[in-house]
Amino acid sequence: MITRLVGGECIDGVSKSEVRDLYLVQDTIFSVSKDARSDAEYNLSNHIVVAGGIDLHTHIGGGKVNIARLLLPEMVRHGRSQSERTESERTEKEWKKIAPLSSPVPGTWETGRRYLEMGYTACFEPAVLPANARHAHAEMADTPWLDTGGFLLLGNDRLLLEWISKGVPQSQINDYVAWMIRAHQCCAVKVVNAGGIDAFKFNQRHLDVDEKHWYFSITPRQILQSLSHAVESLCLAHPLHVHCSNLGVAGNIASTMATIDAVEGRRLHLTHAQFHCYGTEGPHGYCSAAKVLADRVNAESNLSIDVGQMQFGQTVTLSGDTMHQFANRKLARPRKSIFQDLECQAGCGVLPFKYRQDQYVHSLLWAIGLELFLRIEDPLRVFLTTDHPNGAPFTAYPHLIHLLMSYDFRMSIFERLHADVQRTSSLASLKREYSLDEIIKMTRLGPARALGLSNRGSLSDGGLADVVVYERCQNPEHMFARPKMVFRRGNLVYRDGEFLATASKSTIVANVEIDSTMDVTLKKVWPMQYGYSSDLIRIHQDELLSEQRNIEFTSR
Amino acid sequence: MICPFCSLLCDATDLNEIDCGLRNKSLNQLAKFRSQLDPSFNESVLDPEMELAASIELLGIAKRVLITGRIASVQTARAAVALAMKLNGTIDCAEAGHIFKNVQAIQRAGINSVSLAEARDHADLLIVIGDDSLFDACPRIPHALHGQNMSRKTVLLLGGFTDKSMKAWQAAGFQPWSISCKLESVPSALLQWSNAMAQSSQDRMTSELFTALENAKYTAVLWSAASLFVEQADLWVERLLEWIASQNETKRCAALPWTSLDGTFQQVCTWLTGFPGRIRFQDGIPSFDTYAHSYENWLAASRDLDSDSVVIAIDETVATEPFRAKMKFGLDRKFYAIELTAGSVRFPTAVAGAEVAADIFRADQTLLAHLTPSHECDESRVRPAAYWLARLAP
Ligand SMILES: [Zn+2]
Repeated sequence: MITRLVGGECIDGVSKSEVRDLYLVQDTIFSVSKDARSDAEYNLSNHIVVAGGIDLHTHIGGGKVNIARLLLPEMVRHGRSQSERTESERTEKEWKKIAPLSSPVPGTWETGRRYLEMGYTACFEPAVLPANARHAHAEMADTPWLDTGGFLLLGNDRLLLEWISKGVPQSQINDYVAWMIRAHQCCAVKVVNAGGIDAFKFNQRHLDVDEKHWYFSITPRQILQSLSHAVESLCLAHPLHVHCSNLGVAGNIASTMATIDAVEGRRLHLTHAQFHCYGTEGPHGYCSAAKVLADRVNAESNLSIDVGQMQFGQTVTLSGDTMHQFANRKLARPRKSIFQDLECQAGCGVLPFKYRQDQYVHSLLWAIGLELFLRIEDPLRVFLTTDHPNGAPFTAYPHLIHLLMSYDFRMSIFERLHADVQRTSSLASLKREYSLDEIIKMTRLGPARALGLSNRGSLSDGGLADVVVYERCQNPEHMFARPKMVFRRGNLVYRDGEFLATASKSTIVANVEIDSTMDVTLKKVWPMQYGYSSDLIRIHQDELLSEQRNIEFTSR
Repeated sequence: MICPFCSLLCDATDLNEIDCGLRNKSLNQLAKFRSQLDPSFNESVLDPEMELAASIELLGIAKRVLITGRIASVQTARAAVALAMKLNGTIDCAEAGHIFKNVQAIQRAGINSVSLAEARDHADLLIVIGDDSLFDACPRIPHALHGQNMSRKTVLLLGGFTDKSMKAWQAAGFQPWSISCKLESVPSALLQWSNAMAQSSQDRMTSELFTALENAKYTAVLWSAASLFVEQADLWVERLLEWIASQNETKRCAALPWTSLDGTFQQVCTWLTGFPGRIRFQDGIPSFDTYAHSYENWLAASRDLDSDSVVIAIDETVATEPFRAKMKFGLDRKFYAIELTAGSVRFPTAVAGAEVAADIFRADQTLLAHLTPSHECDESRVRPAAYWLARLAP
């Protein structure tokens, strides 16, 4: 199958944006075709042509997402989305407005459909509990249209903490991390509140980067050092993905800086950074420290962040950070929450939450997120996320893009924030407006590079033909709410609101080998720690394969 | 190897070495399936292709469809939910509604919970609530909780446990306390005890017990919804969850709500649709109602209806208790378990995890295991339930 996309403006952040033809030959992109014929041709004047969107941090599968669904059936509101309306029902206005999700944590079928409807083709679950990894993969398998991958949650697993406390050689930690990644078929390592989730199981309610875990007598700094070292040694494509200590606590910028120091110049990705950028100055004991982090990211090329931008409204927060979710339990709206201590590996806290403009800290959070976007210069090192569903549902992306591309639009909302935030925030002084090229970079090329997906994220020759066409529109929110066409592996799977064909999917897995000595070691210690054999949790490659599903390996 | 016969999913190099009454009973049941197939089976599935064609036609004209039964695997749950959606049907695979005792309580009160290996490794006090039926359903729970730090572990059995249960714990290396009391009163008793803890007691046993409760740094509270026979069980669970939550203000305490094999269906249905079962699809959209869409209610409402109502009952377990309902289709091998109406069809179905590979959640709903079949089955006749469900789709 050869498809010719004629006369669209091709934007990818690699080559200069220009109006040109693009050929999708089977599942591969070419800028010229050796073959004169094409099986399908689309005239795309007044359209932009880009690679499929990549969300590198979105909670789409696994235990804590599912338990959040279980907790909140009353939040489900099924309206018919635009794609389900008949043509005559679809007014121009409806067409351009993005419909809300049926719930902050919709089912997998809806998640896959809604991501594709925005032009996204790959999504990554950033917190896979090892014991629950098979479950996370099963949910992702049931999320249609999307390539998926998981980041394995380490840094609160008791085996690791014990080994670090005993001072085992770094090589042993490296082999352990490799074994864990491969056995659970993940593509990166995530740390949430290093050591803090486990410390909470010992009733420790606070743990800063240089504080000691009561039982293991080690600090988060040691854990971060050890894991970032392992990630580099194993040549994992994605740097250590860190949810810092002291989530949401006033003054936590100090912990965030200490976290950066802890990895001693190795690559580091800080996730939902807006929740980790508080100073203590200013009204109500909270202020923005976004500039501190942004300056650091601008100065040090080993750093990247995703923002986790918050939007006002009802959502549910779900995090492995039991310690801090528990501390916030009384803020839950509605007033119910779930906390789990899980399998000597980590935990989770699920808290329904309503972000309000009339609330100082919430307004501040909104401004901090945007400040980070606007202050960090390189769009390849700051990623567009809402930490779905923690800051907002992923369907907020078109709105968020509008905020970044238009100062006036940003200010129209800023003017409605809590008065103390308007008075003290520097957001109004940040006049930067993202260009279309920058938006495309931060949603395609940036995450592709950060994850080692060399065949994705651009329109370069030989790239994977996951290609999205948007109709040009004055309002970027309308433009990005709904693509004109989406191609997966060269097949047109979505056009004008209609889903046309099913698509094959890939699971992205880090290309690391299991060391046989570590295998023998774990065969011995695993049953003692967990009460079952290490074979029981190992996910075999065959389990991830089917007619519609394959595996792709990444490395640095 | 992993044992597929209860939600504990015992894991051993040689399962034959495990001494487990439930496993032995289940193996006998499986052997029975394999040696003498149910007589109606041979009659009804002489030509499966013809039967399937007729069935699809019948489903095509049906006005009301219910999918119910005992689903143990992710694979079957997926297929069942997908079929219910295609048929605009109702689906409820919570046998006797046990799982909803916990679900409804959690949906109101939230929960502090702990997974099995965490409780095994970390809890210094285990409070186990119920009666002997808990260990009849999952005999090796005590063994599964035997961890590395046994000297620190206290076990307290509350409810209607007899010597039989005490012995089971002793056999696993514990020295349990047992206090008989009415199950109904357990949540309030726990509350009273924790209030009274500061006061010293005359009675030596009570005072030792108080000391154990007071000194506990991490308490895990285990009960099984399927063995919880109290009035308004969901309210009982809610009160217990409130007590557990209150403990966490100063120390650590968490629930270990034990779930039967039907937990797997609940998980899959939740991730596909946003709801844990008891849903009805209309135009592909699910609505959730723990009463209206329960299979009991559906069956009661369709008693007088004619052939427009069709029930698809699935049983991919070796459970020996009959699952009684007037069914149009039985996806199972137990002629006594499902009463079929005249003209109905039975498709012979493999036992999940024993005869066909299956992903099954362990009782704590944290770990999902992949079970490979230990017994081959005649694939020309006996198929995975998911196969039949996929074929029945219009
Ligand atoms: Zn997150």
